[in-house]
Amino acid sequence: MNRADFIIYWGGNPADCHPRHFTKYTLTPKGKHVPMGRKGRTMVLVDVRETPSVRAADIFLQVRPGKDFEVITTLRALVKNQPVDQARVAETGLTLAQLQDLVGRMKNARFGVIFFGMGLSMTRGKHMNSAAVLALVAELNAFTKFVCMPMRGHGNVTGADVVMRWTTGFPFGVNLCRGYPRFNPGEFSTVDLLVRGDNDAALILGADPGATMPQPAIDHLARIPTIVLDPKVTRTSRLARVHITTAAMGISAPGTVYRMDEIPLPLRPILQSPYPTDEVVIRRIHEQVKAKPAWLPASFKKVPCA
Amino acid sequence: MLRITGGRVYDPANGIHGEVKDVCISDGRIVAEVEGTGVRTIDASGMVVFPGGVDVHTHVAGAALNFARAMTPENQREAVKFIHSPELRAGIGGITPTTFATGYLYAGLGYTTVNEAAVPILSARHTHEELRDTPIVDKSCCVLMANNELVLDLLEEGETERAKQVVAWLIWAAKGYGVKAVNPGGVAAWKWGKDAKILSEPVEGYSKVTPAKIIASLAAIVNDLQLPHPLHIHCNNLGAPGNISTTLETMKLLEGYRAHMAHLQFHAYGGDGWNSLRSEAATLAEYFNAHPNLTADAGAILFGNSVTITADGPWQHLLYQLTGHKWGNLDVENETGCGIVPYVYKGSNLVNAVQWAVGLELLLLINDPWRIFLTTDHPNGACFWRYPEIIHLLMDVDFRRERVRKLPAKALKRIVLGDLDREYTLSEIAVITSAGPARALGLSRKGHLGPGADADVAIYNENPDRELMFRYPRYVLKGGQVVVEEGAIRKVVDGREFIVHPSFDENIEEYLRPLFEQYYTMSFDNYPVEMHRVEGADIRECG
Repeated sequence: MNRADFIIYWGGNPADCHPRHFTKYTLTPKGKHVPMGRKGRTMVLVDVRETPSVRAADIFLQVRPGKDFEVITTLRALVKNQPVDQARVAETGLTLAQLQDLVGRMKNARFGVIFFGMGLSMTRGKHMNSAAVLALVAELNAFTKFVCMPMRGHGNVTGADVVMRWTTGFPFGVNLCRGYPRFNPGEFSTVDLLVRGDNDAALILGADPGATMPQPAIDHLARIPTIVLDPKVTRTSRLARVHITTAAMGISAPGTVYRMDEIPLPLRPILQSPYPTDEVVIRRIHEQVKAKPAWLPASFKKVPCA
Repeated sequence: MLRITGGRVYDPANGIHGEVKDVCISDGRIVAEVEGTGVRTIDASGMVVFPGGVDVHTHVAGAALNFARAMTPENQREAVKFIHSPELRAGIGGITPTTFATGYLYAGLGYTTVNEAAVPILSARHTHEELRDTPIVDKSCCVLMANNELVLDLLEEGETERAKQVVAWLIWAAKGYGVKAVNPGGVAAWKWGKDAKILSEPVEGYSKVTPAKIIASLAAIVNDLQLPHPLHIHCNNLGAPGNISTTLETMKLLEGYRAHMAHLQFHAYGGDGWNSLRSEAATLAEYFNAHPNLTADAGAILFGNSVTITADGPWQHLLYQLTGHKWGNLDVENETGCGIVPYVYKGSNLVNAVQWAVGLELLLLINDPWRIFLTTDHPNGACFWRYPEIIHLLMDVDFRRERVRKLPAKALKRIVLGDLDREYTLSEIAVITSAGPARALGLSRKGHLGPGADADVAIYNENPDRELMFRYPRYVLKGGQVVVEEGAIRKVVDGREFIVHPSFDENIEEYLRPLFEQYYTMSFDNYPVEMHRVEGADIRECG
């Protein structure tokens, strides 16, 4: 908001998915070092299809589906003045001239940002695409100031990441079955556990996997005892064995939400709710579980430290 | 009530250097005597009794460290694991330990107080949440101020008095304890991909504000506000060959003020490039010894894996270009920034060998142990749980020389470590790990064992192998409770947080509010950390 004069959105549709992003953070605000606001900035949208976000863009680059990695790699080559294969560039749906123009603009920016969405990180290439964007941005810093940030979905997903990291050392895909945290995305991530049918119960908090996960995962959730804490009826709560109605965060329950840039914001409730908060429910469940005898053998009590 | 009996007590703040005497504890404090029934006795015969350790400069919580955790799962995987038990929370040790493990590891080392040295105000709420989840140890925070544009803009306009009010308001908003200056002006310049290398040149984006002006102004402001801890400063040109001139210049600017020079090892290099890098520890120590207004911490390095985390964004970009390793960069709006680069210090590498020597040289060449403290700038130079390795090097000249001989031959010409005979005494170790840092932080109830002090005590088995001795305390007491016994956590208690409430004119909010609405992405009312987020707040009014 205060500095960026060149903004790229890649694989996302903020106009629909992050509706306040343009007006509060990136495009329209008159920033400290961008006093002209929208007029002082250039916005490039890269996506596989035309979305409502195109209207906000100065330049729209339509990439052929699944060709993002190739485009990013070509950009990295152009940034370093390396030769590129014209035929391969043609396969991406963009022309070399378009990419050269983009590289020129990136290098000439005073402060550039790339926001990348799930259209990049969850399509063909997946984390390879994200890694390529990170590398491109890191390399651009040899020429000018450039940063990037993922556009995330689903409520307080960043907050969950942040807390998991300080408590377990890992952001997601954490398994505590051995009594200490282990991390292996693809093995311990929720979708994979559910699809394989590894878990025999589920407690779901602040998410609606019944609406977003693949069918085999949803089928498994319906098979096992699933407990959902949610203020409202969701697809997941309909298939759950137990649905505990809780107060809505930020409306009738206080709490903290982490922005996508990992800045925490306090939530203040504006209404009273007859329902307990998620925290109260989890604490009560925890008290009951704690009252049960320890599952560890006595020999585990001596834990060496240091 | 508790009596520790038969141990050799090292309490240098009270002039006690290894006398066999009792230490008595009641209600979490040290007392002169305990009487009556129900007094538990700890027999410390053959052991040494120290005040609990105080770490003056470490990075254990907050957005940057938490980002580093995410960046280095490969480190977490090979780190020590903490298994969940009825007493302990699960966690991971290693280079960037999880919060609960951090508390266990510090206590396991005999440390009971830590100062988190770099807190951005915008994400201070997050730092306090993490500190709340860091058990046993007491905590304090230094807030980042030398690149905060609210402050720099006022300095540009020459409004020093208002800048002081803003600084005071910001400290209280962040629920901080001290003021930290990191690469003054350089982090602000990094928002434009630039650095601030020359102290007398204006900072990028300003015409009058220079790093020198920022340093002098903040030192004066901290002085005026009567904060218990002086300005905590990370000089410009960290890690760069030849940076000794910048460090000396900075120290000259600070004449007349108290100041704490952070991780001095990274600021004591001569030469004009990586190939000619040499130690200037002797030059630095000479100046430092003659200027009692200064304290410092060593920021020593040890060979092995580390993760460098610093608000010094431009330096981290350089380190990324040098190593080709992973690089994380966080810009914190108009306040500060941060860079993260994993790094391996190698004994065979000329630069690393010199760095290793410089840390030890400073500890040996600065005469007054009350002014130089043991740190590794955790996790930058090495992890805090490796402090006993440094203690061993300081206390045993033969062992140290043997290590020096293993360095590359080229490095030996660039250092003076091999010529230094000094060996630290146990009393001096108690000063650099506890009494000294407690005094520098202005924590009157820490770092000593006199009546009224917090009953934070570390009891070690006397052992000629100093590394082993300091790695595994026999007992550690926190607030009079035995928390560690023979290397295992026995009891987990909550730590407190020390915060200061400097006095400021309430009207400063009327000046700040419109600026927030214009330039911040967070509303003014959401910005200050709420008191209820700080667990066990111990508030000190000052100014």
